[in-house]
Amino acid sequence: MIRRIFAAHSAPEQSRGLAREVVGFLGQYLSDQNILHDLDIMLTEACANVARHAYRGGEGRLEVRLAVSPGESVDLDIVDWGYGFEGPVRFVNPAPEAEGGRGLFIISRLSDAVAVRSEGQENIVAIHKKIGKTSWKS
Amino acid sequence: MEKLTVSRGKNALYFKYDGEVTLDVTPELKRHLDAELADNEVAAVVLDLSGVGFMDSSGIGFLVSVNTRMRSIGKACYLCRLSPKVRKTLGLVQLLSYFQVLENEEDVAALLS
Repeated sequence: MIRRIFAAHSAPEQSRGLAREVVGFLGQYLSDQNILHDLDIMLTEACANVARHAYRGGEGRLEVRLAVSPGESVDLDIVDWGYGFEGPVRFVNPAPEAEGGRGLFIISRLSDAVAVRSEGQENIVAIHKKIGKTSWKS
Repeated sequence: MEKLTVSRGKNALYFKYDGEVTLDVTPELKRHLDAELADNEVAAVVLDLSGVGFMDSSGIGFLVSVNTRMRSIGKACYLCRLSPKVRKTLGLVQLLSYFQVLENEEDVAALLS
């Protein structure tokens, strides 16, 4: 298992940059560009949620905790220390006219498992994606 | 914006951005488009997505907002030249049939001539 922690400030451009940094690191292990794109979208959505909502207009720390099981799966924990999730978290596709609210739905469609939880001061979106052996670099 | 191309055809405004459409660029894209639409003389908007290699839900929200704005005043919004990544993302959220997508170059040319 390979573990790595990436961190940034939760400003929009930095949160996108953090997602790109993590995907760039994963490119050392994965050869499948479609899988890398899926991971990029999921990370970008989760980090953008932190930038938009976690600190209620302010900014704060944003962390991605990565665990890679070569040949098997990737786990991504996206962590903030903000105000936490309000009410029940829903992974549903909103109405076509909705301008927002699709981030968690997209993550749920592209991952094998996603969970949202709080532990102490940490708010965590935990993503698990299984990746077939042919998608890895030999 | 350097990567933005905007032109006016006889029947529509052509709007093309080359790059990632994510949270850090959508506010500026919206400002540019609002400025172009301010004179209310545009009958339709054609959004060319051929240069968009990455789009997140903020980008989807931008497309929805343009579509809603144009429809609310009886005008049209079209998407054209969707890159494979954009097509996949819109398919994920089941919006490909919600938007009016111009699949033929003839249709694009007819609006922009």
